[in-house]
Amino acid sequence: MEEKFEPKIIAFLCKWCSSAGSDLAGVSRMKYPPNVVPITVMCSGSISPNYILSAFKDGADGVLVSGCHPGDCHYIKGNYYARRRITLVKELLEFIGIEPERFQMSWVSAAEGAKYTEIIKDFVKELEPLGPQNKLRSNL
Amino acid sequence: MVKLDDIKKECKSILEEGKVKYIVGYKRNNNYYMSIPAFIEKIEETDQLIWDPTCVYNLVRFLRDEKLRKERQKTPDTRPIGVIVKGCDSRAINVLLQEKFIKRENVYIIGVACEKSGVIEKKKLRKKFNEKNIKQIEFGKDNNFIITTEKGKTTISAEEILAERCIECNNNTPVIYDVLLGEKVERSLSEHFRSLEKFESISTEEKWNFWKKELDKCIRCYACRSVCPMCYCDECIADSISLAVKPDTTAEEKAQKIRWVEKSPVSSENFSYHLIRALHLAGRCIDCGECERVCPVDIPLRYLNKKMEKEASEQFGYTAGLDPEKPALVSDFKDDDPQDFII
Repeated sequence: MEEKFEPKIIAFLCKWCSSAGSDLAGVSRMKYPPNVVPITVMCSGSISPNYILSAFKDGADGVLVSGCHPGDCHYIKGNYYARRRITLVKELLEFIGIEPERFQMSWVSAAEGAKYTEIIKDFVKELEPLGPQNKLRSNL
Repeated sequence: MVKLDDIKKECKSILEEGKVKYIVGYKRNNNYYMSIPAFIEKIEETDQLIWDPTCVYNLVRFLRDEKLRKERQKTPDTRPIGVIVKGCDSRAINVLLQEKFIKRENVYIIGVACEKSGVIEKKKLRKKFNEKNIKQIEFGKDNNFIITTEKGKTTISAEEILAERCIECNNNTPVIYDVLLGEKVERSLSEHFRSLEKFESISTEEKWNFWKKELDKCIRCYACRSVCPMCYCDECIADSISLAVKPDTTAEEKAQKIRWVEKSPVSSENFSYHLIRALHLAGRCIDCGECERVCPVDIPLRYLNKKMEKEASEQFGYTAGLDPEKPALVSDFKDDDPQDFII
């Protein structure tokens, strides 16, 4: 029997909102696919494009960046900076021919456990037809 | 049209007054039609200066070298250095001022307006002429270039051999200068993001194949980094040796030093290097086209930087190097920045 492709997602979640949101999903016993590896960062504004590229390089099929809603940032404006930077990363990845579905950004607050599960479910569904990401995978 | 005599006169006068330490300009290369950078310290040397369509180099790069040299000297000569800049190069100075890398008083800017023409692109020239026969290229009247070969003079329309970046240029007049030579002229041939149009209609897979083919050629000589006026970081992320090794640095610390980009010229590392470079130059690249010119394997690096420039301009209304007082692209935000892509 052929094995079904299970996409691997790296999710960079900010400590104050998105990570708490994913926690809420957990303690509320909501179900979502186990394909996601969450990495907590202090703020979405602290996510360097290097993190994203190295996640792809180390074999991630999709990368999710998630932060607080605009106006809710613990550090007042970190997510606004993130929004600009991530826009540039996304445009550049699309420009060199990475499928736009592979890199996504979302706003998830600490109260939106349900939204987080939905995002992951949709993300996995979008990645399944694309197959494994081999374009940026390290070939050293 | 900028007269060479005006440039020489200006250089002579500032050297005579002792305003500047030396002037960076362009001079003729022996037996070759392309110009080379010139460092003019004495008044009599100003006669070497030239101004023609082969003055492609961005001399702002030398401001970085000057700064480093000054830092090493115990009693540096604090006079500014003069630099001859085109419109694009003047924006590079603006970016360096904006980032507080150089001080305004440390540079004397001799702005030269490109007016309606610009500089040549060797690749285009090679297609039309045998390079070996060319003796000299000059500005002609009515937006023409005059090419002197062994057989005689030929007049050619500037657009045929004009660099792609000059065709797309919006800043033919320097935006910052101490003295401006030449006239401020609006140009008719600017289509700002013309070179990116061909990417708009092709599919994701075609884009990937294009870049895979181009970036696989990279031999990681870092010529693009060496020539870039914006690449002045003390520690480049592409150098995995950049950990400061002290006597008490442990083997573990050395091993744990994060290497974002490995040195090997393999596909994935080349992509990492060029993507990181493009992102680091987002909102800073002023499209002087030097990276593409020096690339020994002809990777069209300009497209990556141009793409970032396009997004900055269309999504955030930001153009690099226009105002040194404004915050940089990624250290600023607006409440209504586009966020349609965010779920």
